[in-house]
Amino acid sequence: MKLLKISVIALALASATSAYATSIAITNATVHTVTEQGTLTNATVVIDNGLITAINPEQLTADQTIDAMGKILTPGLIGSMNQLGLVEVSAVSRTRDGSEKKADITFDASAAFNPQSSAIAYSRKGGITTNVVTPRGGDSMFKGQAFVADLSGDLDSIVENQTAVIVDLGSKSKGSRAFELQKLRHKFADAQKVLDKAKAKVEEKSDETKATDKKDKPAKELKRDEKVINALLAGEKPLVAYADRSTDLLALLALKKEFGLDLVIAGAGDGIRVAKQLAESNTPVIIGAINNLPTFDALHQSLDSAAALIDAGVNVVFSVSGDMHNLYQLRFDAGIAVANGVTKEHALAAITANVADAFNINAGRIAVGKKADLVLWSADPFELSTKVEKMWIDGVQHKTTSRHDALRDRYTTKSAMPRAYTK
Amino acid sequence: MQKVLPSLLMATISLSLTGCLQSEQQDKKVVINKNPYPSTYQVLPNKMTIIRNATVLTGTGERLDNADVLMKNGKIEKIGKDLSLENANVVDGSGKWVTPGVIDVHSHLGVYPSPSAESHSDGNEMTQPNTSEVWSEHSVWPQDPGFQRARAGGITTLQILPGSANLFGGRGVTLRNVPSHTMQGMKFPQAPYGLKMACGENPKRVYGQRKVSPSTRMGNMAGYRMAWSEATEYKRAWEKYEADYAAGKNPEAPTRDIELDTLKGVLDGEILVHNHCYKAEEMAMMIDLGKEFGYHSGTFHHAIEAYKVADILAENGNCAAMWPDWWGFKLEAYDMIQENVAIVDAVKNSCAVVHSDSDTTIQRLNQEAGKVMYRANENGFDIKPKDAITWITLNSAKSLGIADKTGSLEAGKNADVVLWNANPFSVYAQAEQVFLDGAKVYDRFDEKYQAKSDFLLGQK
Repeated sequence: MKLLKISVIALALASATSAYATSIAITNATVHTVTEQGTLTNATVVIDNGLITAINPEQLTADQTIDAMGKILTPGLIGSMNQLGLVEVSAVSRTRDGSEKKADITFDASAAFNPQSSAIAYSRKGGITTNVVTPRGGDSMFKGQAFVADLSGDLDSIVENQTAVIVDLGSKSKGSRAFELQKLRHKFADAQKVLDKAKAKVEEKSDETKATDKKDKPAKELKRDEKVINALLAGEKPLVAYADRSTDLLALLALKKEFGLDLVIAGAGDGIRVAKQLAESNTPVIIGAINNLPTFDALHQSLDSAAALIDAGVNVVFSVSGDMHNLYQLRFDAGIAVANGVTKEHALAAITANVADAFNINAGRIAVGKKADLVLWSADPFELSTKVEKMWIDGVQHKTTSRHDALRDRYTTKSAMPRAYTK
Repeated sequence: MQKVLPSLLMATISLSLTGCLQSEQQDKKVVINKNPYPSTYQVLPNKMTIIRNATVLTGTGERLDNADVLMKNGKIEKIGKDLSLENANVVDGSGKWVTPGVIDVHSHLGVYPSPSAESHSDGNEMTQPNTSEVWSEHSVWPQDPGFQRARAGGITTLQILPGSANLFGGRGVTLRNVPSHTMQGMKFPQAPYGLKMACGENPKRVYGQRKVSPSTRMGNMAGYRMAWSEATEYKRAWEKYEADYAAGKNPEAPTRDIELDTLKGVLDGEILVHNHCYKAEEMAMMIDLGKEFGYHSGTFHHAIEAYKVADILAENGNCAAMWPDWWGFKLEAYDMIQENVAIVDAVKNSCAVVHSDSDTTIQRLNQEAGKVMYRANENGFDIKPKDAITWITLNSAKSLGIADKTGSLEAGKNADVVLWNANPFSVYAQAEQVFLDGAKVYDRFDEKYQAKSDFLLGQK
């Protein structure tokens, strides 16, 4: 038994290494780098050991060469603000792990992530290689912490957990939005006060020469939620706040300024009114590019909003609204944004580099040292008629097939026997 | 005038005399008004218009390149090359595409309008499993800004259905997508009513949670059968009344039942069934249910598993209205495939429809159809734009029973026309001009033709 176990591990290791050991050169590609380099034609990208190791090297050495035949190579697309891998079927409670009534700011749903979810394989059809998985939480305004997962479907899919804190602000079906904003402010103010006091004490101590002060109590162990608040105050992780109305957005920008937060705003349906402030404060904004119906918090959102925000200099991220089962549509949303005035370059950045920047992910660009998450497209990545030809996650090539394809094949294959025999 | 009167009197007397001779004195015949909320829709001001040199998809499976479309007196006058201009308003269609006005067979605009609010939640009478007595038209808020958004996406006709909580959700209404401050002002003249039915998870969940029937799928079936059985008796009672009256008797009219009026309308073939039904085995049973009680099982909406029973649907003349890719939100939506519409469409005598059920995708039903076309073509199909357009035009019109009036560009039909800036199956496609009965109701580049809801007027 012991022997067997070891050999299984050895096998697993061998297969993992073999996946990484092969260096791949993708040649003759139209490379959309989403960097200052812009688009490189007839270019070569070399990937090795999960990373991009060279672009247009003078000498080409790779175990495998893939001729892109001039087709478009982009960074893998990055989804965000959805529950991919936490929910298999939305209405089947036993397949849902993104919500928890008692969830608070410490809620880390990454332990429930299911890389075998059929929605992950399906999402690869849309060229999605990485996703910021975002729990829905429970009663608290803090919905928990988002984590980053790749879409390999492998058991080691989680790239980072406890990546960002999610807070839900804005209109309330019960009570006042002011109360939650106030509570949030007080949380930061109180924690900041404790930190300032401790800092003052340390300074006081170093000023005085008394090396041994027996009156000093040992520092109190911080509670888990306090540690999270302190991490936010230190700017160590983003605070992602759902809010739409311009007044809420300004209140958040004020908090960011006062407490030095790494703020990301999600929703921002009314963002066009405060686009200038959003841009000046360098706050990334995650929007649904196709949201154009009025709510009382966002009366004037339209298909032109994305272009208006980007033109004002806002760092815009697109996310697919609603159910995560159709995360694969992200590229179509970007296309619709282009039809409504966003440049193709900005639209691509909004589903790659800008997401990576907002959540500090080492992907989203084609540059040396970035994760080798790449997609080779049959044509324009945003077009309905285009499909993913090849994709790599962590330098490993992955298929885009899912059980949906198996079902199609079963029901389009002729057989004298019942369909169940067609496998 | 004086001369006429006595003869009229004479006629009345002789009529009543002959009546008396044959049978007893008859009371006034009880006749139910089938159209108590009639359409007041008026065609908007319009001029004769010609769109020249466009790529035209007729909706009947044809594509004409560099063709002209002439609209006159609200109708399609002619389609062809180099049509004479007469005094028509000329629209240059070079490099552009023309299709019939887009039709969505499944919408909740007006009954679940924007902004979403409790006060506006009027689409689902979730109080008992059979609410055939409710009519969605009585919930429509014509100021829903979603109507304008849909018009900008080329939607000229849409069916507003009640929700799917109940086995029988009530009547649906077909509307012209024209701005109006009354529902009647939008109502499609002479379009038949729809009856919303629902299979599967929703009814059994809603009522099962309340510990009343149905709480299972067999409970669903029992609920339909009991209702149709009652409706059959009701229909029989009315028919007996009519026959007896015609025979000169003076029968007592059956007590009127608003709920059964609707079901009787289906049994009489006047109201079309629109059945929320995802699963193959359920669709097959709903078809048999229709046969059991002598009505046609109509259109299956959301039909996620229609591809598994495409042959049965075609054989029985059922339309299937489908999404290109929605799935996974419920277990009955788990077996989605992106080629569903194409597989249904491939069978002879089929009726494949792409629908939205969404205030967002209704704005791009053309792209929803496009997604199906491209995915299917990647997997062995050969579907052309001229075919795919039928899923959102002529087949939709068939499903709603209005194919004699709209849904294709054919001489004599309503001039419901969309001018697109590009191939409508491109992600970059946008409707530039939309015509309803020959009247321009939307122009992307002319604010004069961009209607605005009362709700948004004057909002800061």
